[in-house]
Amino acid sequence: MSETRDYVQPVVWATAMLAVGFLLLQLTEAALGQVTLAAGILAASTLITVPAVSGNRLSMAFAAATAIAMLVGEGFDTAAAMSSIALGFLLGWLLNQMVGDESLADRATAEFLRQSLGAMLFVFAVVPLETLFASVMPNDLALLGAFIIASTTWFLLETSVWALSVHGRDRLSRRYLFLLAMQDWPVASSLLVVGALFGLAWPTLGWWTLPIAVLPYSFAHVAFKRSHVARVTYGQTIRALARIPEVAGLSPDGHSDRTADLSVAVAQELGMTPDEVENVEFAARMHDIGRITLNEPNIIKIGFTEYDIARWGAEIIAEAPYLVDVAGLVRQQHNPYRRPGEQRDPNLPMASKIIKAASAFDHATRELGFSRLEALEVLHRGAAYDFDPDVVDAVRSVVDD
Amino acid sequence: MSPTRKRKAMFAVAYAAMGVAALSLAALFQTFPALPVWAAFAVVAVLIEFHSVEVNDHLFATPTVMLFLAAAVAFGPGSAALGIAAIAAIAPLQRQDFREKRILVPLMNFGQMVLAATIGGFVLEIFLAGVVDWRQSFAWVALGSALASIAYHIVNIGLVNLAVRNIYQQRDIRPWSRMGSILPSMVLMGFIGGLLGAAYHVEEVVLPLVFALFGVGYLAVSSLGQLREAQEATLRGFIKALEAKDLYTRGHTERVAYFAQLIGQELNYRGTRLERVRWAALIHDVGKLAVPRELIRKRGRLDDDEYEALQAHAHVVEDLLAEVDFLRPMVQIASGHHSRFDGTGYGGSGHSHGSVPVEEARILAVADAFDAMTSTRSYRMALSQRFAFEELRRHAGTQFDPEVVEALINAIGKTGERYGSPTMSDEEKARLLAEGRVVADPHV
Repeated sequence: MSETRDYVQPVVWATAMLAVGFLLLQLTEAALGQVTLAAGILAASTLITVPAVSGNRLSMAFAAATAIAMLVGEGFDTAAAMSSIALGFLLGWLLNQMVGDESLADRATAEFLRQSLGAMLFVFAVVPLETLFASVMPNDLALLGAFIIASTTWFLLETSVWALSVHGRDRLSRRYLFLLAMQDWPVASSLLVVGALFGLAWPTLGWWTLPIAVLPYSFAHVAFKRSHVARVTYGQTIRALARIPEVAGLSPDGHSDRTADLSVAVAQELGMTPDEVENVEFAARMHDIGRITLNEPNIIKIGFTEYDIARWGAEIIAEAPYLVDVAGLVRQQHNPYRRPGEQRDPNLPMASKIIKAASAFDHATRELGFSRLEALEVLHRGAAYDFDPDVVDAVRSVVDD
Repeated sequence: MSPTRKRKAMFAVAYAAMGVAALSLAALFQTFPALPVWAAFAVVAVLIEFHSVEVNDHLFATPTVMLFLAAAVAFGPGSAALGIAAIAAIAPLQRQDFREKRILVPLMNFGQMVLAATIGGFVLEIFLAGVVDWRQSFAWVALGSALASIAYHIVNIGLVNLAVRNIYQQRDIRPWSRMGSILPSMVLMGFIGGLLGAAYHVEEVVLPLVFALFGVGYLAVSSLGQLREAQEATLRGFIKALEAKDLYTRGHTERVAYFAQLIGQELNYRGTRLERVRWAALIHDVGKLAVPRELIRKRGRLDDDEYEALQAHAHVVEDLLAEVDFLRPMVQIASGHHSRFDGTGYGGSGHSHGSVPVEEARILAVADAFDAMTSTRSYRMALSQRFAFEELRRHAGTQFDPEVVEALINAIGKTGERYGSPTMSDEEKARLLAEGRVVADPHV
């Protein structure tokens, strides 16, 4: 696998360099200066990245490439824009290889190829779109319309191609990956818009474009970064709090982490969306939190049931208004799929059923000392009564891998 | 009608009257801007106010003024002040106020915002009057806009503080103390607003794009606010769960956080540093979740093993919460709250035997001890505030930091609040008398 990559990469880049060289040959000397400047800025911009919701980092190259595309027709022809983009991404890739993390180099290459191709498509599309719109509306609005259509298309394409290319590396479905990357739209759109702002305003406003575009964007940039930190912090807080029963000796060590990992994998296997999976993760992490109400590990033997613990846990979690949904999932974590002789409850959330199965699996393998096969057998025997058969199937295919 | 409400009504009417006067004055001297442009700005302004989020962050404190000033410049000389005064007149209409049928607060906001906008608008007008070619005057307009932003804020903060101080009779608010810290963002916001307005005159298409950019940034800021709130709410939920284990410690954490904050303010803590002390106080007892319930509730003395188990909670707190990057500095403080001023005591990484704990930990120790004394515990009734103060002073220099103790006593004196039992028990009096401290007023 890696051997093929070692061989593909230089070929791709050699072709790219030949193409760029060919493009540059077509340019006049004056245009060559412009292209060098634009490509330099684009290359530098690939080094600045913004963290987004999906966990990916989007680079400022989106903004720089958009600005270049929007400048076409304003003293910049299509050939110059194309060569700037090709040269810029090529230089940017080299820069990233020099300063970047080695483990990311492989991924970065695909990213650069994808983005440079997308940007070139943008350049191709923007002029015909503008001419099309200009026949029905004023010039400025036409350019704005062309930008909106072209940039939306670019983002959707980028997202789809990313989902397709990452698919297969993890066991995540294409749909899940697509939805995950779609969550990045605020960051992506702010990058695209600041690029367009630059391209549109530069011809008339000159250097004043810099503060007009950069200052508003920098607020968004800082907000994105702080949101990222806050998101990470929140995840860490939940994880730390979820471990309290374990530290107190009320719950087996690592049980909440393992249950959460298995639950997330099962939820993804069942085709849940990224938002739903996040709820599953939080609920699974905290599913045993009700145990902190107990003071001795053996109190369960004298009258309390698992249902009480689930209820207490839900009460604790519901204290945080943002976790009301999660609390509901925790409350129902022990409800069986179907009680003998009764109709099954159609309102029982999938997440609760997943947590029930994942927790039982971890209990069987860790506390009862069962092998994976034996633990799966426990789930199978409970299928259609204790456990949802679909969930059991999903657990099996996750565990089998 | 309560006196507070009466004063509130008075201020609401007075401010609203001033607002109407300012609006009429602006209408007298100026013409109304082009309606479509005005409407576009008004819609954005109302949307921003509608979705106003509480973010404890200086950087994102004042987006409204930027919009106002961009609008004022875009309306151009002759309509700047009137245009934004009219926007300021409708912007305070908040959904929440409608739902809760509040009238006085929106009236007051109407008055102060219109007045501030009118004055800011006229300051800007001085600069706009001379503009011939927009392209040549970017710096000039931006400068005027920055000054207008300062004028807007002086009026805005002044009026709000005047009202709050008089309505709630809080004398010790220092209204201008925050001015310094928000001044840069004020100037910057004015500056950007001016630039955007001027850019609009040269290239109209700039404006919708900038609005889009701000819209997205705004979403990010509000999700940031939500995440921070969620974080705090989650921790608070767990603290409540902790306190539910023991009736006697209910509310302890919140009170300790409050006392720690009072002391911090008294010692001139601001911003992040103050927040850190408050957070440390909020988490200082989370480790108790891992301590068996009988131990917390036990009457009488703990034996050595039990004492050790209780001490271990300082370490449990640390291991657990130190995994959260954001909480790490607070954990350091919290784990030092059983350290003593003279370097003895116990604790986690915040405690190092033989050396003075960090000031934040000393604050927490005093706040914790004060609440412990003034609240009823399983082993004794609440002591009186006076006795608690005496006790803190008695141990100042050994267990507690004398400066911190005095700060607490001063701060509580200023608020006029009283904690603990209203009267001293005979035992307390006897002890003070025996130590030669005369009880001046036996009823205290």
